[in-house]
Amino acid sequence: MNDSDKPMTDPIKDRKDDETAALLVAQAFIIFSGIYWFLQLESVRELLELAYG
Amino acid sequence: MLTSVYEQNKRTLITSAVLLLAIAFAYSDLRLTIYGALMPMFEWFETTPFGYVGKTWGAAFATVQAVHLVGLGVLGGAVIAADGRLLGLLLSDVPAKTVVDRSHRVFVWALIALLATGIFMACGVAMKIYYLPVYWYKMLALGAGMLFHFYIRKPLLAHDIDTLNPVVVKLVAIASILVWFMVAATGRWIGFSG
Repeated sequence: MNDSDKPMTDPIKDRKDDETAALLVAQAFIIFSGIYWFLQLESVRELLELAYG
Repeated sequence: MLTSVYEQNKRTLITSAVLLLAIAFAYSDLRLTIYGALMPMFEWFETTPFGYVGKTWGAAFATVQAVHLVGLGVLGGAVIAADGRLLGLLLSDVPAKTVVDRSHRVFVWALIALLATGIFMACGVAMKIYYLPVYWYKMLALGAGMLFHFYIRKPLLAHDIDTLNPVVVKLVAIASILVWFMVAATGRWIGFSG
């Protein structure tokens, strides 16, 4: 069996796969957190505006 | 050929599929169907011994809650130590691998304490949390955080950290801090709701 028959044993390809997956999830988390907390802060600001003008 | 592409990008493909499924689930009616179907389970939670003790014995609930909060503090400390090191903000005189590995051990024990005490507390206030949207955000963050920690972050950091792309490492550290901050913040929000 030559090396090309067992791609998952290639540590560089493994590392690239792990890095790409991590990049994908990290971006998703950061974007979701940004939107979520922005909307929460906006709702608090609107509430305060309603209460105090 | 396809098998080879899958094998070489297995984690990326599975992660992409999970993210797409999560987005599809968030915008589908299935979410509401599952929400309705979960109600009997939450009603049952309140009838379990944990539910009775949690509802009727305030001191027990307060003691378990104290352990829960200490667990949260320890978990937060482990996350800040490891991710702060990955960001190069603290403990920079200690190898990143050492900080990450030792923090992981603390993290796992804190998570076990959090889950055990969290289940007890949830039984005591099951119907209250069922109707709180923030509780479901907390569960979403907790599930996402655990998957992220064990399926993404840990395998990534098992490689030699110096060989990893530093931008990816820093983004992972920021995402990790954000997701556990969300778990803590939504958890305290539940405490102040209703």
